[in-house]
Amino acid sequence: MIANEPLINRKQELPLKDDSSGIFLKVMISIAVFLFAVTLAGVLSINSMLNAWNQSILGSLTVQVMPVNHSDQKKAKEETLIHLQKTVDFLKTLPFVEKVHSLNDDQLAQMLEPWLGDGIDIKNLPTPRLIDVKVKSGEDIDFAKLAEQLAEVSPLASVDNHKLWLNKLIKFADGLKMLALSVLFLVVAITSGAIFYTTQANLNVHKYIIEILHIMGAKDTYVAQQYARQDAWIGFIGGCIGLAFAVPAIFMIASLADQIEGGIISDARLSFLAWVAILALPLFSAATAMGTAYYTVKRTLEKMM
Amino acid sequence: MLRDTTIGNPVVIDMKNVGIRYDMGPEILSDINLSLRKASFHFLTGKSGAGKTSLLSMMYLAQKPSRGVLNVFGKNVNFTNRDALALLRRRIGVVFQDFRLIDHLSAFDNVALPLRVCGMGEKEVKKRVKELLQWVELDKHMFDKASTLSGGEKQRIAIARAVINRPDILLADEPTGNVDNDIARKLMKLFIELNKLGTTVVIATHSEKLITDFAYPRLHLSDGNLRIYQPNEALRGGMRTI
Repeated sequence: MIANEPLINRKQELPLKDDSSGIFLKVMISIAVFLFAVTLAGVLSINSMLNAWNQSILGSLTVQVMPVNHSDQKKAKEETLIHLQKTVDFLKTLPFVEKVHSLNDDQLAQMLEPWLGDGIDIKNLPTPRLIDVKVKSGEDIDFAKLAEQLAEVSPLASVDNHKLWLNKLIKFADGLKMLALSVLFLVVAITSGAIFYTTQANLNVHKYIIEILHIMGAKDTYVAQQYARQDAWIGFIGGCIGLAFAVPAIFMIASLADQIEGGIISDARLSFLAWVAILALPLFSAATAMGTAYYTVKRTLEKMM
Repeated sequence: MLRDTTIGNPVVIDMKNVGIRYDMGPEILSDINLSLRKASFHFLTGKSGAGKTSLLSMMYLAQKPSRGVLNVFGKNVNFTNRDALALLRRRIGVVFQDFRLIDHLSAFDNVALPLRVCGMGEKEVKKRVKELLQWVELDKHMFDKASTLSGGEKQRIAIARAVINRPDILLADEPTGNVDNDIARKLMKLFIELNKLGTTVVIATHSEKLITDFAYPRLHLSDGNLRIYQPNEALRGGMRTI
C-alpha cells in the first residue's frame, strides 16, 4: 500500500539547481538583504535614540515666565506674579497635567547659585519665574500647541526651549523611521516581485517536466515544494552574502556616528535583540523566498494547466 | 464469438456526447459515447490525426472535454477539483508514444516517479523499481540517464513507469512500436496479466499484427467519431476483417 504523502518532498525531479535564474536571484537577494540590514540597523538605532529622548522629556516639563520690564521694580514684580499666577492657573486646567509647582525665591536662588554666588537676594533681581509641571504618565503632549496656548494666556510664558526643540527632533526622527520602514517594505516587495516573475518564467521553462509530474498524479503542492525548497536555499545563501557585507557597513556607520559630538547620536545604540534581528536576516530572506515561490507556483499552475 | 467477461463490472471511464476542440478550431472529436468497464481490454485504432491522442489525453485527465460529460472512476471531471484530479491520475498508468521520460533523471528515478509522487517510502520504492527493471531487462541500465538510452530501452522504461503503481487503468500509445517482436510479446503479456488482475487496458496502435494476434475489441476513430468493433467484426469502409 502507498504510504501517506510526506509534508516535504525530498526528491528533486525539476533541475532547478542548474538554472541560471538561481544566480540572478542570489545576487538580487544579497543586495536586498544588504540594503535591508543597513536600513533595519538605522531604524533600530533611531528607535533606541527616540526612546532615550522620549525618556528625557517624559514625566515633566518646565514653563518659564519672563519678568515684566518696568522702571518700578515693585510694580514689575507684582505684574510678573500676576502673569505667573495666570500661567499656573491655566496649566492646572490641562488634562495631561498632574501637578503644577511654581518655584519660590529660595528654590530659584539655589538654582542660580552656581552662576551668581551665595547670599544673593533674588527678590531684587529680574529673573524669570519657573514652573515645574508634572505630567500624567502615558500622556502625549503637543508642545507646539501648548506653546501657542501659553502665549495666549500670557505673552511672557513659554515652554522650556530645549524640550520644544527636542520634541521637533523626535518628530523628525519619527518621520525618518517611517521613511526607513517604507524602504524596508519596498525592498521586501521588490525582492518578492523578482522571485515571483523569475519563478513564473522558470515554470514555463520546465513546463514539460511539470506536465509529466501532473500526469503521474503529482499535486500542485508537490511541484511547489520543489521550488520552495530551492528558493529557500537561494534566499538563505543570498541573505548570508548580503549580511556579510552589511555588518562591516553598519560598524563603519556606527563609528562615523560616534565621532559626532553632542551626545545626541550616541543614544543610537543597537541592542542585543537588534543584533539578533539583523543576524537572523538570512532566515527571513529564506522564508520570504520560500513563501513567495510556493505561492507563485500554486497560483501559476492553477492558471497554466 | 468472444464472451465479454466484464459485463457487470463497474464503469471506470464513461463519456457522454463528449467533444473536444483546441481554442476556436474545429472539433477534433465529436459526440463520443463510450463506457469502459473495469478489467476490459481494448485496442484504439484510427489514422494519424484521427484524434487517438486527444481521446487518450482526456482519459488520463490531461484535458477536459470541450463539451459533454466525462466521468472517470465515477467522478465528473468538470466538477472535480485539481487535487482530487491528481488522486484520480494516480490510478491511471500512461505509456506515451514519445515516452516522455525526464532526461536528466536515471532510469531508476523515472520509473520511481509515480511511487514518489504518492509519497511511498524509499525502501519500498527501491524494491519495486528494481524488480520491475529486472523484469523489463533494464536492471543493468538502472542508473543510466534516460537521455543515454536507446529508443527501445526508453519505451520499456516508459512502460515500467506506467505499471509500477499497479494502475486501475492503463493507457498506452503505440507501446510496442520501438521494440523487437520478443520484447513486444513480453510487454503484451504484461498488459494481459495486469488486465487479468483487474486493470482496464486501452492500447492505441497501428499494428494490425498486434490486433490480430490478440483478440480484443477495437475502438476505431474516424472523422472525429468513435465506433466499437468486436474482434470478429469487420471495419466499415473495406478494411480487413479482424
